[in-house]
Amino acid sequence: MTTLRSDRTRPPARLNWRIRLRRDRSLILMTLPAVVLLLAFNYAPLFGLVTAFQEYDPLAGVWNSPWAGLYQFERLMSDPLFWGAVRNTLYLSFVQLVLFFPVPIALALLLNSVLSQRVRNFIQSVVYLPHFFSWVLAITIFQQMLGGAGAVNHFLRNNDIGTWDVMTNPDTFALLVTSQVIWKEAGWGIIVFLAALAAINTDLYEAAAADGAGRWRRLWHITLPGLRAVIVLMLVLRLGNALTVGFEQFLIQRNAVGHDTAEVLDTFSFYYGIATNDYSYGAAAGLFKGVISLLLIWGANKLAHAFGEDGLYRR
Amino acid sequence: MGNELNRRSFLNAAVSAAGLVAMGPLLSACGGSGAQRAGVNSDAGLKAVLPAYVPNTSIKPDIPSVAGGADVMTDPGFLSYPSTRAATVSGIPGKGGRYSAVTPLWGTIPPADNSFYQAMNKALGAQFEMKPADGNNYNTIIPTMTAAKKLPDWVTLPAWWSPNFNTGGLVGNQLADLTPYLSGDNVKKYPNLAALPTAAWRAGAWGDKLYGIPSFSTGFKVSGCTFYRRDVFEAKGITADQVRSAEDLMNLGKELTDAKAGVWAFDDVYRYTYTAFGAPLKWKVDNGKLVHLFETQEFLDAADWSRKLAVAGYVHPDALAGDNAAGTTRFYGGKTLISGGGTGGWNLADHQSGQAANPNYRRGAFNFFSADGKSAPRVYTGSATDIISYLNINLKPEQIEECLSIANYLAAPFGSAEYTMVNFGVEGTHFTMEGGVPTPTDAGKKEVQAQTFPFLGAPAQVISNQSAQNVTKDITAWQAANVKALTKPVFWGMNISMPQAQATAEAAQPVEDTLKDVIHGKKSIQDLKDAAATWKSSGGGDRLIQWMNDNVLQKYGTGQ
Repeated sequence: MTTLRSDRTRPPARLNWRIRLRRDRSLILMTLPAVVLLLAFNYAPLFGLVTAFQEYDPLAGVWNSPWAGLYQFERLMSDPLFWGAVRNTLYLSFVQLVLFFPVPIALALLLNSVLSQRVRNFIQSVVYLPHFFSWVLAITIFQQMLGGAGAVNHFLRNNDIGTWDVMTNPDTFALLVTSQVIWKEAGWGIIVFLAALAAINTDLYEAAAADGAGRWRRLWHITLPGLRAVIVLMLVLRLGNALTVGFEQFLIQRNAVGHDTAEVLDTFSFYYGIATNDYSYGAAAGLFKGVISLLLIWGANKLAHAFGEDGLYRR
Repeated sequence: MGNELNRRSFLNAAVSAAGLVAMGPLLSACGGSGAQRAGVNSDAGLKAVLPAYVPNTSIKPDIPSVAGGADVMTDPGFLSYPSTRAATVSGIPGKGGRYSAVTPLWGTIPPADNSFYQAMNKALGAQFEMKPADGNNYNTIIPTMTAAKKLPDWVTLPAWWSPNFNTGGLVGNQLADLTPYLSGDNVKKYPNLAALPTAAWRAGAWGDKLYGIPSFSTGFKVSGCTFYRRDVFEAKGITADQVRSAEDLMNLGKELTDAKAGVWAFDDVYRYTYTAFGAPLKWKVDNGKLVHLFETQEFLDAADWSRKLAVAGYVHPDALAGDNAAGTTRFYGGKTLISGGGTGGWNLADHQSGQAANPNYRRGAFNFFSADGKSAPRVYTGSATDIISYLNINLKPEQIEECLSIANYLAAPFGSAEYTMVNFGVEGTHFTMEGGVPTPTDAGKKEVQAQTFPFLGAPAQVISNQSAQNVTKDITAWQAANVKALTKPVFWGMNISMPQAQATAEAAQPVEDTLKDVIHGKKSIQDLKDAAATWKSSGGGDRLIQWMNDNVLQKYGTGQ
């Protein structure tokens, strides 16, 4: 200890670090399990990315598979199916951003205006519930209701009105999947916004009301500014995940509307990487997606900071 | 939609996409270019090593087998369980060795060291440590063992997963060569193994050497057929035997579809009808030139027929939405009346499930036909079995001999004392005889019915649905009526292992995807033509054809 203390070349921050460590000891201990999980299941598997630069052979293993350099990426860049998957992913992501993103915010605002605690709890439970269904179940319900042999079409057919083919129509697929996402996830998405709403000081509303501000003025000048930080944070995260629109939802419906429409980057990796034993190609597609996603989230975060928001972290 | 997205259905999707379903090792491909591979079976090389065939005649079936072409015959039928239960093995086969065994199990894993295992160990005269593993994850369990070079002493490697396991690379490196013990007359030391058909041994042979011990082999292996609801057809006065062309089948669509009542004539049938149009299973040789399925006009014709079926509205909407998992439920419920499927699905369990939905339920299968109704009906036969077990290369010669004696016990014919022990356990403890039928007790259901030992060795298949004799009669009659139609495809039973790039090209995912869209009525035949052309030029198709020509056809011939 004495040698350390006498070491004058060390910056004073060193002492700060030790003091902070002692102060935050219990907090750090509490986050430790999460960090270990993250290292074991998110960081350690990153070493598998090396297969993207190989002709990976599962039997030979990572160490003995021959190197292929950038060959897999060259294949990827010249593969029209891959670019089709990129296009679909971006398009679906954009449609969901426009049509899905505002829904939980609106829902949270509506719910917040309900005064009866009992009604509020009831509505919350009902809209949360679909989140806990698997995609298989969610799509089964859609198929049972809207499918060619489903309840709606059965009614239409029996009344000679003509059928409504929505589950297998590639042209309306983006709307279909977005409505599925809204049905399943919108209720879950309101949690974070409700928490932000609860944090807004109610004195502000009373003061504004006393000054004669109506419902819309209060919404515009108090509620939305109060939510702005959270909305921007969610937007940054959403943009960073623009290339991740979901996997199971598309895997299940890929045969229904055809691969031209439903192929997204994740299903591309599965079908052209894993299902055909072309692991290195799938890994290359996955790595490409990861790098672009990282750039997107970095860019969106920069943008948030430029607008004076916190983004992912405070600058 | 009831899609069960477990690993097995993933895999089945992948395998059937590759057109390999139930045809297992016929066209199996090895993963990777880095690992050593066994190569290809040649006709001459195999002839020198294949075990002699000495059929067992001690137990007579009620409905004898009918022979077709070479290596093709119907499965014999038993209407009742043989009452004599003759013993075919004298003495105890084992010499007290200890062995570990891993087998796939689709069901609840029985408790370890249970009373059935103990009884089997006593009967076999060896200590077996049985480790049945979840069949749905089997394709991921085995590679971890092979990567660590820690395979058990005895392991089942289903042939449809040969590409995943790289079985062609494991034989000779981690799995023992059984050629010295079983080739030619050597097999006669094990009479029950000698009674297995020659084609079954071929399925477990790699690079002209014997490695695998076949279970559940059959002389009537087809990838599937087109089933129909016989009870509904008979009620409507339709005779299925009159369907002799693709046009006849299409006409049934109009007659049977009643969308308002929620009934559609068809589920997906493409996979089970395309060869009726003269399309090859995957390869054909035309004037000495190797031709791939995707290059043929017959392939386009077959797809177009299925497309018309969908466009005309004769196919159930859920099938068009890609939901295959619920196909059986639709068939039981009478929502579809014609459906393709594997022949393995036609059995007692199917009969019972069907009758639970409708007491009149009766499954029937159309005879194979040619699309034009004029040419001779023809369907391609697969290799004789997909369930093949292998022994670890680290076993000493005397241990291998002990295991083969035990395999001989396990392969005792249907109805023998040994068969009864392996499949039903000890009378009184695991089963009781009720009306001449061995009926499992609760212990039997838990410990014996979850099959383990038969995956290491089993006799050739018989058809036997004791409590439902009609099912046995229907199946044997259908097999006998169709046995002449079974034809060996090009490269039959050659266990080809190919480099990764070729294997990927063979899977032809882009063409398979387009094909699905076409037969569901979403794309045109021109789209399919374009997809096939792209696959040939830039998807590795031409290189695959060249590779198959240079490395297989020119060196080893067609194997037919």
